[in-house]
Amino acid sequence: MIKRFLIIFLFGTVTLFNAYAQVKPANYGNIPDELVGYDKYMKAYKYHFIEPLIFYGAGREKPFPTGLKEVRLGFLGPLEGSILVREGTQMLQGTMLAIEEANKRGGYKGIPYKLMVHNDVGLWGAAANEIVAMDDEGVWAWLGSIDDIVSHVAIRATLKLEIPNVNTGDPDPTFTETNIPWVVRTIPDDRQSSYIMVNKIYVKDGHKRVAMIRANNRYGRVGTLHFNRTATRLGFPIVIEERFKDGETDFSTQLERIKKTNPDAIAMWGNAKESALILKQIRAMGLKQPVYASDRIVNNTFLEMAGNLAEGLVTTCQYNPDADDPKLKKFKAEYHKRFGMEPDVFAAHSYDGMNIMIKSIERAGLNRAIIRDVLTDMKITNGYKGVTGELVYDGTWNNIRPIYMAEVKNGKFVFSPAQKWEREDVIYKKPSSRYADSGGYR
Amino acid sequence: MKKMLRSTYFRITVLAVVIAGAVSLGFILRSADNSETILTEKSPSTIELPVDRAVIPSLPAPDDATKAVPVFGNWKNFTTKDGLPSDKCYCVRVIEGKVYVGTHDGLAVYDNGKWKTYTSKDGLAHNGVVSVDYSPITGDIWIGTLGGLTKWSGGKFEVFNQFNSGMPNDLVYMVICDGKDVWCTTGGGAGHYDTFTKKWEIFTEMNAPMHEPWTYGVSAGDGKIFIAAWGGGVIEYNTKTKQFRDYVDPDGFMEIDLQPDDGVVHDITTATSWSEGILWVSSYFGMSRYDGKYWKGYFKEDSGLASNFINFLRAEGHVAYMCTDNGFSSTNGTNWVTYKKNENDANGVAVVTIGGVKKEIPQSPSISHNFIIGVDGQDDVMWVATSKGVSRGEKLKL
Repeated sequence: MIKRFLIIFLFGTVTLFNAYAQVKPANYGNIPDELVGYDKYMKAYKYHFIEPLIFYGAGREKPFPTGLKEVRLGFLGPLEGSILVREGTQMLQGTMLAIEEANKRGGYKGIPYKLMVHNDVGLWGAAANEIVAMDDEGVWAWLGSIDDIVSHVAIRATLKLEIPNVNTGDPDPTFTETNIPWVVRTIPDDRQSSYIMVNKIYVKDGHKRVAMIRANNRYGRVGTLHFNRTATRLGFPIVIEERFKDGETDFSTQLERIKKTNPDAIAMWGNAKESALILKQIRAMGLKQPVYASDRIVNNTFLEMAGNLAEGLVTTCQYNPDADDPKLKKFKAEYHKRFGMEPDVFAAHSYDGMNIMIKSIERAGLNRAIIRDVLTDMKITNGYKGVTGELVYDGTWNNIRPIYMAEVKNGKFVFSPAQKWEREDVIYKKPSSRYADSGGYR
Repeated sequence: MKKMLRSTYFRITVLAVVIAGAVSLGFILRSADNSETILTEKSPSTIELPVDRAVIPSLPAPDDATKAVPVFGNWKNFTTKDGLPSDKCYCVRVIEGKVYVGTHDGLAVYDNGKWKTYTSKDGLAHNGVVSVDYSPITGDIWIGTLGGLTKWSGGKFEVFNQFNSGMPNDLVYMVICDGKDVWCTTGGGAGHYDTFTKKWEIFTEMNAPMHEPWTYGVSAGDGKIFIAAWGGGVIEYNTKTKQFRDYVDPDGFMEIDLQPDDGVVHDITTATSWSEGILWVSSYFGMSRYDGKYWKGYFKEDSGLASNFINFLRAEGHVAYMCTDNGFSSTNGTNWVTYKKNENDANGVAVVTIGGVKKEIPQSPSISHNFIIGVDGQDDVMWVATSKGVSRGEKLKL
């Protein structure tokens, strides 16, 4: 009797589980349940980005070309005339290293890869012109960029021209929310960073009144969007938001206003140079509050400029640069040997991004639509382990793998896994990071 | 049989199936009840929840609901085999009996049953032609390309780009003529060219209500210019008052549409078209209709729309024609006709949806490809640009 009951109970439970499992949508953006927009009050009519888009267009039928002397791959990054030249140079070097290694392995069926390098700074919308130029050059895919505006303009052109793009440096959460089935991103976005920072500042460290000073550009505006929203949802809207221009050196006006609000803590969202100067001026004004920052400060530029004042500062990092991973150690050694410097987050992610692109091309053949199919096939790409960690795509091909906390201790960044903000009863349920039947190229 | 019925395992199995059936039935019934908030899976790409649309004042039945949506058929398809320079066709425009098709490798003009190709060697700004329009006032044809704007006048091509004119950017996504004015949308903002004064104006986030200067589609009507700003919804410019206003999705979230009828369904818009007092707006997330007072959203899951990913739309009279990534749709706001080609042969079907009732009309052949990028029609003939050629359909007498 007991045996019979158990069999029936087991069967019924499994059936019930399966029935409800069907209605669980896939995860999007690691959004914690309590942060899904309006969810406390009403269900939305539609939830986007549940499943990846399919590209229905023509192109897969095009035959592979013959007689090629080089396989051209595009690069778009800030290499001159931009405040992001340091980051762009690192991104280019990481890309170059991956290409050089691939060519040592024999290139594409004996044909060498050639990087077609494009600078992304110029007149408004110049990135669009650069993508058209890449199409004219016959690139099979391209990598880039870092600046939000440049990247957005470029991927609209890549959609029109149907060229696969791997983004390794733009953390703008809206980048992959454009619903373009030709774009994947390997670097975790600022949405992830915002959740982690809010959890750290408000929940773990117990601050309630936080002041924000941010870059007055798209990086600052969109980067803090989810930070501000998340803090507000917890019941702690930021007490003041001050803005600064890239290249600004005197922040006394903004900091005086912040001082008057007497915040518990101060958060900065900007590039390394400005963040270091702001930190110095915060302390020079006698403000002793804890300071938190966005992940653009994780580099030697910030540490050298901020000096001892950086001690104890907390930020996030998209990966663990000090991980005890042979693959990462080998990359760092090869990078230092080749370029005479330590790789930063942009170099490491572009190295991974270019390797993913090359592996996809070698699997797909020289056909843009099929390269796209491979790049976006989660059975192939999800779970890929690069030097920065694992690829865990959501429905927009946005890498939602866990990120790291970074704290300055003894003049160095010390990295530790960031605490997850996750519950079981999520609307956007987290998918498995691996597929059992992968057959992928990890 | 009797032995089987007496079997313990058989009884257990029957009991388990009954339980499973009951659970499934309960699940289905629960989903059907709008008062519940259980997720209902409607499609692989989106999840629809049973939210009551009545929260937002509901749209009255369109005045033109009773007007028919024409059905086109007898499709004739053209590809490179027929003389096109490329199968990838970005746009099509019918101008005074000639058909202008913008392709990746040049402009093809269909006249008296023959195709003739024009490229940069003939004077086009770039071979990639993505938009064409005609000015009845000047008689000029304006050609938007991947590398600048070209005016075709008196048999000669004149190139406008960032370096020789006030163009905002060389990648022209769309160009339209509105009286003496030419408007273009580019990756660097919207451009306005006065053909009388020969002066340019550029509209970006600096002087118009856009977050960034990413503009994609543009149309004119009712003394207004409607710009589809990628990420900025619809930017409306009043040509008389020179004033702007914008229309965005009020919920403020990219990942959801809280209410389908509260504004544009998404801020990433791809095209606008104004006709007979109605503004139609397409996006990669569905479609919107605005009558000046009420918005109404349309999705694949709740209408006859072929797909929510809409590359372009054009309204003619009371009907809007939507170019989606997986079929060609048309509607008057109530009734629908959607064309789809079979995957494995040249045939397809036109699905007519009237009052929620669907009727399929077999078509042989069908449109050239289901990935539709451009559309234009004239005199009961419809032309459709696809990623695998261009198609010409005739209005059917049903």
